[in-house]
Amino acid sequence: MMDYWPWWAGALALATITVLYHELIGRRFGVSSSWERVVHWKIEKAAEEMDAQVLADKAGFEAALREATMAEFGAPEGGDLLTAAPPQTAAKPAQQSAKLPLTASATLLSMILVGSFVAAVMNGRFQLRADMGPDFADIVVNGPLMWPTLFVGGVMVGIGTRMAGGCSSGHGMSGCSRLHPVSLLATSVFFGTAVAVSLLLWKVI
Amino acid sequence: MIEKYRIHLLVGFFGAALGFSLGMIGFGDFGELNRMFTFQDLRMFFTFAGGVAAAAIGFFVFTKDRPAGARIHRGVVPGAVLFGAGWAISGGCPSIPIVQLGTGYTPALVTMAGIAVGMRSYRLMNAKYFHFDSGACSV
Repeated sequence: MMDYWPWWAGALALATITVLYHELIGRRFGVSSSWERVVHWKIEKAAEEMDAQVLADKAGFEAALREATMAEFGAPEGGDLLTAAPPQTAAKPAQQSAKLPLTASATLLSMILVGSFVAAVMNGRFQLRADMGPDFADIVVNGPLMWPTLFVGGVMVGIGTRMAGGCSSGHGMSGCSRLHPVSLLATSVFFGTAVAVSLLLWKVI
Repeated sequence: MIEKYRIHLLVGFFGAALGFSLGMIGFGDFGELNRMFTFQDLRMFFTFAGGVAAAAIGFFVFTKDRPAGARIHRGVVPGAVLFGAGWAISGGCPSIPIVQLGTGYTPALVTMAGIAVGMRSYRLMNAKYFHFDSGACSV
């Protein structure tokens, strides 16, 4: 069995992935948002098709926006927004869509599986098994209680990452390295909680 | 046609690189993870911290724009508490159950089902009760 990578090799790999992903794809690298979209496949697919339709019909889109704006705020003097003076503030440049195509999110998740399988075979750790290994049995729970424990842990991760708006890749790697306040806050809280719970599991339970 | 597959090739490459790296680092190994969180073994802790530091340098050198992060809303802290506890219990972060599955730990499928249920129920609960707005908008 091959040793795990030394810390600097892992650090370099994670940093390269985070920065290159942002440079080449133009979005924040975050796994939980891809998860979220794949989990809501039907809704996201419909939303994506609607976006594509709306954006394909630019004139119709603008007309609808104009109509909705006038309905909300009333027509400006001069009758129509088109003939009214343009706003003084310069429009912000259009941002690239924050989302990947839905199928690309699925590609990301499936390729994590492929990559980790290759790693496990290479370092000699691949072993098909029906438990989570001796450490999990020692530290967390042994026997059939493993199933509800994993499920509840998963639910907590699912709710928590979406409520906090990111996970260890989105907030931890991408956000902290750019010193985003929300990411620094979220990362210190989730890491601190994980430390507290892990100490409890190790020493007490 | 090429253009359509380019994004899949790119994203797929990064997914494979992430899965491979996490596997080689040992994040899918529950014992290693617990030893990191209990400070018995600082290797993975330095991996994570060093990764953040190296990425900070990388962003500073390569990236000109400085996009703002999401807004801080009332859900960030309780969400992070839930996530941290769930991570410590199941080892899911949430790419880790995929890595665990790739290493052969089949019960990780149950963790993944839990994540799916959690994310679906959060979206419903947020729409009905919380109304947290991260300030992110796709259009």
